[in-house]
Amino acid sequence: MIFITPFAALSASEIKESWWMYALAIFVALFILAGSMYFALSAYRQSKRLGMSKDQVRKAIVSSVSFSVLPSLGIFIGVITMSGLLGIPLPWIRLSVVGALHYELMAASVASTGITVATMTAENYVTIAFVMTLSIMWGGLFALFFFKKYQLKVINKATSNNGKGFGKILFDAFFIGMICAYIGDAVAKIIKYEVRVIEDGAYILDLDGNYVTENKATFVPIIVMISAMGAMAFFDWLVRKKNIKWLENFSLALSMIFGMAVAVFLGMGGIY
Amino acid sequence: MKAPKTYNDILHRNGRIFLSLGLSVMLLVPFTIWLVTGQMPDSAKLLEGFIALSILQLPGGIVEVATYGPMLGTSATYLAFVTGNLSNLKIPCAMNARQLCNTEIGTPENEVVSTLAVSASTITTVVIMGLGVIMLIPLSPLLNNPVLQPAFNWVVSALFGALGYKYFRGNLKLVIVPLVVMVVLGLVAPGFVVSTLSIAIIIGAVVSVIAAKIMFDKKWL
Repeated sequence: MIFITPFAALSASEIKESWWMYALAIFVALFILAGSMYFALSAYRQSKRLGMSKDQVRKAIVSSVSFSVLPSLGIFIGVITMSGLLGIPLPWIRLSVVGALHYELMAASVASTGITVATMTAENYVTIAFVMTLSIMWGGLFALFFFKKYQLKVINKATSNNGKGFGKILFDAFFIGMICAYIGDAVAKIIKYEVRVIEDGAYILDLDGNYVTENKATFVPIIVMISAMGAMAFFDWLVRKKNIKWLENFSLALSMIFGMAVAVFLGMGGIY
Repeated sequence: MKAPKTYNDILHRNGRIFLSLGLSVMLLVPFTIWLVTGQMPDSAKLLEGFIALSILQLPGGIVEVATYGPMLGTSATYLAFVTGNLSNLKIPCAMNARQLCNTEIGTPENEVVSTLAVSASTITTVVIMGLGVIMLIPLSPLLNNPVLQPAFNWVVSALFGALGYKYFRGNLKLVIVPLVVMVVLGLVAPGFVVSTLSIAIIIGAVVSVIAAKIMFDKKWL
């Protein structure tokens, strides 16, 4: 059995692109796929019991798929970014489960200060994998043990009509605040945008152990945001006034493509 | 063990089973690497890294469950806390589906819509990642092309810009206060906002909710 027979003295470069790391990654991907399909199927059955229209179900699925394609490509680019140091399978696993590129890069640099592709050992690689996995589990553990109680005690009260109807506004307000934070972030980047320098798939540190950063202050994100907003307004007008209903499920994805295209055009003009 | 009584109880039970399995699968990865290579992690580095990251992730994880859980609903919360990418994908995805399907948070219909949205989004990501790995050699130069790079650098800005229009239209009174506060914060403390966006998101959300509550109580909405 391969899993109980340690491979003697494997180097990090042999581990990170080994067939069994790919097998692990495929297993994780299949697990997530199976779980998602199970939840989707259960929700679909429940929609029938509730008498929800097929159109509502279709809208939820089609809009979510079209919406998720571009961000997913962005996540995959994270795999490519990290692959320089860690190979493909580990970043593939890490970005398929709870985590994010900046978190994983931070975990890699904290767990293996100063190492490079050339100097990374098997011990470094194992340590990175452990740190990445263990430190991100807090949210999941909290959800596992406390979410039900929290939902019963707090959320249900907030969403019930006894709260004089504010529950309906509460979550719109919350989400609007979240969007405004992203606008604030885009505005902040006009003034200061310290980017940690990535080399060979990991953040690099200076001699004092601090992250090496570059200030890349930029107008691009706010322009992209306003462009996507304008495109969305246009598509919304087409849907509502020109009655092009099929566009409804794709308007968000198309608006994102427009915003991203503006970023490309600005880049071609030397504005990053 | 008591038998589940309500549909929501069943959702919690199934969600907890999935989340437990998900966390186990996550843990399986480093332990398998350890087992196969016979190489133990460096315990000092592991502890140091775990503590350093947990200082942010422990409160962050709690706040995420407390804030995103209500927006996602029962099943989608359990699913999302295994599959990740909450603020940049799952939450906007669920909120978009909710708006398109015209459902209210906390209703059984929204539970269905949110679960379908997060499941569909997760499946899309898994498929794209899988295809990406399979087609890595032809895809890598394309995705790493310097001309296309800005598009993917700012995909989240495009996402929130487009979604912003949908939420701002019809909710203009709710927008003013958090927008002004967050823009001012971005101008005054740009380093803070950019480097700790997750905290800025919570600030934006809390300011927005407080302002909405005041306006609601004064019957301005």
